[in-house]
Amino acid sequence: MNLQVLPKGALVEWIELLSARYRVIGPKRKQEVVQQQPAGDTQQPPREQYIFGELQGAHELELSYPSTILPPKKVFLPQKEELFSFKDNGHQVDLQLDERRTVIFGIHTCDLHAVLLLDQAFSQGAADQHYMARRANTTLVSIECLEPCSENAFCKDMGTWIMPETFDLHLTDLGHEYALEIGSAKGSELLQNLTNIRTATETDYWRFNQVISAKWARFPYRLEADLSELPSLLAISYRSQVWEELGQQCLGCGTCTAVCPTCYCFDVVDEVNFDLTSGKRFRVWDSCQFGQFASVAGGHDFRNSRAARLRHRFYHKFKYQSDSFGLAGCVGCGRCAEACLVNIKPIDVINKLHRKRVAVSGKRQEVMG
Amino acid sequence: MTVSTKPKVAFFDFTGCEGCQLTVIDALQTHADLLSAVEIVQFREAMSERDEDYQIAFIEGSCSRTSDEARLKAIREQAQIVVALGACAHLGGVNALRNWQSSDDVRRYVYGQGGKLYDSHKALPIQAIIRVECFIPGCPIDRNEFVNALKALLQHRLPRLPDYPVCAECKLNENECLFMRGIPCLGSVTRAGCGAICPSFGACCEGCRGLVSDPNIGWLRAVAVEHGLREGGFEAASRLFLSHELMESEGDRHGKH
Ligand code: SF4
Ligand code: SF4
Ligand code: SF4
Ligand code: SF4
Ligand code: SF4
Repeated sequence: MNLQVLPKGALVEWIELLSARYRVIGPKRKQEVVQQQPAGDTQQPPREQYIFGELQGAHELELSYPSTILPPKKVFLPQKEELFSFKDNGHQVDLQLDERRTVIFGIHTCDLHAVLLLDQAFSQGAADQHYMARRANTTLVSIECLEPCSENAFCKDMGTWIMPETFDLHLTDLGHEYALEIGSAKGSELLQNLTNIRTATETDYWRFNQVISAKWARFPYRLEADLSELPSLLAISYRSQVWEELGQQCLGCGTCTAVCPTCYCFDVVDEVNFDLTSGKRFRVWDSCQFGQFASVAGGHDFRNSRAARLRHRFYHKFKYQSDSFGLAGCVGCGRCAEACLVNIKPIDVINKLHRKRVAVSGKRQEVMG
Repeated sequence: MTVSTKPKVAFFDFTGCEGCQLTVIDALQTHADLLSAVEIVQFREAMSERDEDYQIAFIEGSCSRTSDEARLKAIREQAQIVVALGACAHLGGVNALRNWQSSDDVRRYVYGQGGKLYDSHKALPIQAIIRVECFIPGCPIDRNEFVNALKALLQHRLPRLPDYPVCAECKLNENECLFMRGIPCLGSVTRAGCGAICPSFGACCEGCRGLVSDPNIGWLRAVAVEHGLREGGFEAASRLFLSHELMESEGDRHGKH
């Protein structure tokens, strides 16, 4: 391992250097709009929230952020993006590719694992030009989490609390300095012209190992089932009562899929001009949690129940995605649990399914024994 | 005089504040090319000429008088496409607040002794009287949604409205949920399409775009109570725009319809 050491104070210079060559994105504080409410109202001030956004300088960078509302997928797959414009009834098409050179700072390891899954999803078969263009021009600077970001996170269970094998540049907080691991040529390019950086000494390696090994005990296991059992646990739980119960609660709001770093479903919409022959095609995020596009006049459509949609999400995260990519479909970031208004949380759902299975097999053994 | 082959469009107003028509006038300023695609033949709010020959009718406002019904039916006779423009035409709007009381009482409060002379009744969405091809929800309507709906109609298709809740758009804007700040919000049962404009500016969603087709009102009520809204608070908050829809679904549940 080639370890470099950078004093924290040098971040200012580093971000400045990078900003001359790249669009620099990182976790920063979200400014919420607060409306004046009537006196005596129960309103509380907004909590600290973080988002990935373009940085105006190192002062905006919040490297010890717990989590962000949306994951960094929005950089590669924006909420709404123009795919192309067309003229002459589509006979003339002008492709839009975003090739801005970009650095994303401060990606947690769970989110990094998620980006690797997105890479697979968008490169398999006919590769997605729009995603690939952004991805090819982006360098990821990840950072080691030394504490769990929330009680909803279960990255240790999912194996995403540590680095994947593929990365560009990875930071570990050593107190007054950052340890830097270089994982790719793209990553080492970011260090050009940086004066304050030095190669790690034996003492640095020792400190680094201390920090990493102290991390182990701070992260609890939160799933009662083992990662390798999850696909089969889901497979046998298809008819479980749990889905019906959760379906009663679910609001069908799609918040969980929007905030999920490994959700990538989208819809394509055209916006034509009044000549009706020219316009633009956009891609927008979609969600499996939305019902069928039912007729507007209050036509109720119960074919596709919330319970069935919710079950589909859990199957997709914990079974289908791992079946097709060989990577965990859920990286255990906890965002969906944090954001769901009716408290539908993967840890609880998996543990509930697991306990039901244990209870059932216990009973079977009693009968057989 | 030249004969235009452009589709003829007319605007009509019933019980409402005319805010949606103002939004249309606003859209004409920002999308001047709209007038190259259609011919507006009737629009009281914007012009004095009137022509009774039109294909697309945009109707603003709720139906709140017996005498309105004949006028609505006449529009329906003439138009190939009827569009309900804005929350009043779509849902009964704010006017439907009065539906919780008897029309006799309402007339008495408003007009005093002479109340009996007025033919006003409950404020109804126009769909309660005539068939409607499509809706442009909102109070007021969203300018872009109006423009896109018109384009869809010109392409001989019906505009597609989102059938998922405002929360979805609220998350795309990366807002902290207002419930976390103790502000109750109707976004999770309200049809998206406005870009979650109210929560994005720190104000709760009041449901002006109407309910999604499968709203989970029961659990939203529980969420509101969990976040400190008193029992019954949800009902109070949802009456502003959803009175008619809630009364209808109440009616459904009791088997009358
Ligand atoms: S699980 Fe929660 S976040 Fe997801 S759609 Fe249902 S209510 Fe919304
Ligand atoms: S399913 Fe939830 S916990 Fe898992 S990766 Fe997605 S948002 Fe994170
Ligand atoms: S829908 Fe709203 S803005 Fe439009 S007329 Fe009715 S009250 Fe006014
Ligand atoms: S603020 Fe309102 S619209 Fe936004 S997520 Fe919360 S409930 Fe939904
Ligand atoms: S957020 Fe709610 S109240 Fe505000 S415009 Fe949208 S639907 Fe209407």
